[in-house]
Amino acid sequence: MKTILLIEDDYLDVESVKRALKKAQVPHVLHVSHNGADALNSLTTNENKIVPDIILLDINLPKMSGLEFLEIVKSYFSLQQIKIYIITTSSEEYDKMSAQHFDIAGYIVKPLDFNRKSNPDVEKLLKDLTE
Amino acid sequence: MSIRAQLLIGFSVLTLVFLIDFIVNKRLSANIEKNTTYLNNSEAVIRNSNMLHKNIIEMQSGFRGFLLTGQEVFLSPFYEGLQTVPLIIAQQQALQSTLPQRQRLDSIVTIHLKWVKYANSLISTKLDTLPEANAKYIELFETKLRMEVGKKLNDKIKEIFKTFDNYEYQLRQERKIALQKSVVTTNTITLTVTILSILLALLFGTYFINMITRRISNMVSLAEEISTGDFKEISDHKNDELNRLSFALNKMSMTLKKTFNELTKKNKELDQFAYVVSHDLKTPLRGINNIVLWMEEDLEVEISPEIKKNLNLIISRTARLENMINGLLEYAKVGKVQKGAETVDVLKLVREVIDLIVPKEFTVQIDGVMPFITTEKLHIEQVFSNLIANAVKYNQSEHPKIVIKSRDLKDYYEFTVKDNGIGIQKEYFEKIFVIFHTLQEKDAFESTGVGLAIVKKIIDDYKGTIKVESEVGKGSSFIFTWPKNMKPTKSE
Repeated sequence: MKTILLIEDDYLDVESVKRALKKAQVPHVLHVSHNGADALNSLTTNENKIVPDIILLDINLPKMSGLEFLEIVKSYFSLQQIKIYIITTSSEEYDKMSAQHFDIAGYIVKPLDFNRKSNPDVEKLLKDLTE
Repeated sequence: MSIRAQLLIGFSVLTLVFLIDFIVNKRLSANIEKNTTYLNNSEAVIRNSNMLHKNIIEMQSGFRGFLLTGQEVFLSPFYEGLQTVPLIIAQQQALQSTLPQRQRLDSIVTIHLKWVKYANSLISTKLDTLPEANAKYIELFETKLRMEVGKKLNDKIKEIFKTFDNYEYQLRQERKIALQKSVVTTNTITLTVTILSILLALLFGTYFINMITRRISNMVSLAEEISTGDFKEISDHKNDELNRLSFALNKMSMTLKKTFNELTKKNKELDQFAYVVSHDLKTPLRGINNIVLWMEEDLEVEISPEIKKNLNLIISRTARLENMINGLLEYAKVGKVQKGAETVDVLKLVREVIDLIVPKEFTVQIDGVMPFITTEKLHIEQVFSNLIANAVKYNQSEHPKIVIKSRDLKDYYEFTVKDNGIGIQKEYFEKIFVIFHTLQEKDAFESTGVGLAIVKKIIDDYKGTIKVESEVGKGSSFIFTWPKNMKPTKSE
């Protein structure tokens, strides 16, 4: 059973991810952070530390953007094993390029839907979750 | 200094120069006149002197002839001389001007009178027939003639005449030279002054023509640059009427530049605003859509058909709203993409659009020679696709038909997209180009009312025109113009 950290500030988007996971019937543990700073804290603190296998990261986040978060996480050697998937509303080529610059596992445009087989990154995520 | 003052001063200077020229000429010709008079005077003096001398000599000859022969007939020249000589002397005295000549003339007169007196005494004695007179004549003869009194007088008078004439010849020569000299001087000075005044006038004229034409042509080119949207300034440091004109032009240019920049900025802001707003509006919309979908999923069994219908209505309306937002985004993006002008084969472009969007049952006819235009391909393609798409969409005819025409209008090409569709009522001819304005019920034709607004925006950017001609039930014609050579005004 995989541990997932979802970093997302919009309640509806959190709900949407939860439903997608439930629909796909993948057993998992889900942690949610509402911004990058909190998430970073949970990853690096000693108490109540979260050790996720997969991070689902939004780009438009308050205080610290997803890209800034990525840059910091990728600088920690201990966190480099975590597979990070971007989940965003932005289909802009510029955002995608910026994210891919950081060795991410995949780039998924919202909404997350595991029935949408056309996107190879969605399939990859499903595979990573079930392995 | 104002141009008026400069012109006035210039013309005054020229007038003054010509006036001086005139006065100098007048002076010089007066000089010539004076010298001519002197010369004439000298010549008259010489003539008179000769005549006087001749008369005196004739008197002397007559006198001598009488003395030798005793015949009175020889005396007639003497008596004539007594009459004429004083007249000639009077004439000569009136003419004479220099002091030495006047003195010489006086000496001649004195000697002549002396001689006349001497001659008279001899003549009267000789004429006297009394016997004692003979003795007196002999005495006179012995004392005067033998002593050569008359000859001495005659020689002296001859001497003075010689000096007098020589002097006068000399004077005449000098005056002749003076006259020639004054003529030459006059010619030289007149020529010089005339050439100088002409040069001055030319210089003055050239200066003015240059100054005015150069500055005016500067202003003309500025105005031309302004008309092409290049807002420059010209520098003109003179302080005159033309400077005020160029100042006004500069000011106009700067005001236009400022306004134009503000306008461009505002337009950009507006486009940015539309883009941001439409982008941000999509998030909550998708949220609503999701919630409705989840409700349907969660309540699938308990839900009544009535509620299910309403939920579906919410979904279809949010879909329409999303379409509208996408339309708005597309509208805001018009003109943003520019790859650079290229030569577009309009016939090929129109055929590609037709292949893509016109169904098989439509008859398509292309009339007139479709041109090649150098322009942004995407823009003219958007115009044709929107108009042809509308011609397809609003057509319920049994034999649907689309006609595309082209005409060459000097600076523009005119294109027409004509259909035999449902047509448009006259009162809506303007409104159809307004964004989100649709004439049909939303559900009959799924339309967001963005297409024609985009078409209008593109054509406006190219300073072209678009109008519609239509009759309800018979069809519509959309007629637009596209410039042969122009970039869109919006370059952002």
